[in-house]
Amino acid sequence: MSRPGAGELARVGAAVTGVVERVFATVARVHDAALRSVEREGLLAGRAVLPTAVRELLHEPGQLAVGLGLVVAPRPAEGLPLRLEWWQVDTERGDLRTLEPDLRPSSLGYYDYTATEWFDVPRRTGQRHVVGPFVDVHGTGRYVLTLTAPVVAGGQFVGVAGADVPVRRFETHLLEALGSLPAPFVLLNDEERVVLSTAPRFLVGSLLPPDTGTPGEGTPVAGAPWRLLMVRDGHRLAG
Amino acid sequence: MQLLSGDARRAVFAPLDDGALRSEAVVRRVGSAIALGLLGDGEQLPTETDLATMLRVSTVTLREALAELRKLGLVETRRGRGGGSFARAREDVLGELADARLAELGTTDLRELGDVHGALAAAAARLAASRASRTEIARLRDIVDRLAEAGTVTGQRRTDGRWYVELAACAQSVRLTMQEMDLHLELGQLPWPPAHAPGLLDVIVAGHRAVVDAIEDRDAARARALAEAHIETRTLWAIELRLQRLGGAGAVVAQRDVS
Repeated sequence: MSRPGAGELARVGAAVTGVVERVFATVARVHDAALRSVEREGLLAGRAVLPTAVRELLHEPGQLAVGLGLVVAPRPAEGLPLRLEWWQVDTERGDLRTLEPDLRPSSLGYYDYTATEWFDVPRRTGQRHVVGPFVDVHGTGRYVLTLTAPVVAGGQFVGVAGADVPVRRFETHLLEALGSLPAPFVLLNDEERVVLSTAPRFLVGSLLPPDTGTPGEGTPVAGAPWRLLMVRDGHRLAG
Repeated sequence: MQLLSGDARRAVFAPLDDGALRSEAVVRRVGSAIALGLLGDGEQLPTETDLATMLRVSTVTLREALAELRKLGLVETRRGRGGGSFARAREDVLGELADARLAELGTTDLRELGDVHGALAAAAARLAASRASRTEIARLRDIVDRLAEAGTVTGQRRTDGRWYVELAACAQSVRLTMQEMDLHLELGQLPWPPAHAPGLLDVIVAGHRAVVDAIEDRDAARARALAEAHIETRTLWAIELRLQRLGGAGAVVAQRDVS
């Protein structure tokens, strides 16, 4: 098996960055709509921040996200509870619905979003973030990548604007975009988890086995805390 | 009303399996949803028509079930503006309901439930050993800590349920997660063993801690074996509780396990 050249790796990296930036462009539009609304009218209990037109972003041609919206930081002292303004598209039927997860701490199904990485990292760092793949348990129930950006108004953290891309859609889209596949590679996130793989031995969602390469080895991907790593894998179907 | 869309809610309002005694099945489903906190105290249920459609039962069956739930005190119906049916979290009633359910089941049914749960949890633990990130492992530990501190039966039951659901999520499997959630709606219909022998909570906490340790050590075989063995123990507790109801020799056994 030939080792791929730097050109091939760069091509894969550029394709990944392209996808990430495309989704972040959607997140930016959600962010801007949220910021405009909060700067104009403040943050009130019981009043939606996002105009409903924002959800139409999910119907835009070529949209990779299947869910998007604003997740508000609770402010108990101001009477602002946990709150999401999140829309999802039903991938089979195309209709939109709001996500209404269980926000009661006493429930087995409690969606404790303030503890999630996609909420907590942008809150702490003030930077955008990419999380996943992960099972969005108690939320959408999907296996997704979640891209979020902090919304800050008047120096105060309002919440995060974000979008969900199903892992399957991310994979299908990238593999199609890449056309002929270079030698086997894996795309790893900052937890050493496989985001995308063209080597069957490296399953999406698994952590890179400790005996594979050295930590940090590989080519960083611009726009996400990810890196590309060439790997070796045998052929099984040859018999 | 707007239905909550979390995985757990999906399971609560999923169609009931075909079979006899459907109104009793509705009563049990609603009872376990309240026991697990998926239906909160005072929370409004969907309308009769919506509920019947979701559970795929006739409105006649549904009305029978609601009448029974009202009689038990787990549902309250108010007429007029702002009226409807509301869930009531009554721990005493839930305890009686769980005892009644246990009495209906044979020891083979309990073994079957344990077999499926053991298979699910063991698979999830094995996969989590090679797939759970450090953040996820920390979350598992946090759940076990909260389980150790949970003061009420419902609190313990719900936190234990969260442990298994989170373990399946750590395996990066949506399907295992859904199956675990569905199974908990059945397990939530049964008595919670530490309610009968409080020392058992320590056994459960220690069992979960041992599994997280194995996951953190990336020891898939150990994680699997420990998760499986723990559920086998719990299956025996359930069977002993069942046999105690007959007033037989099982009556003191639960105590022995604690010491």
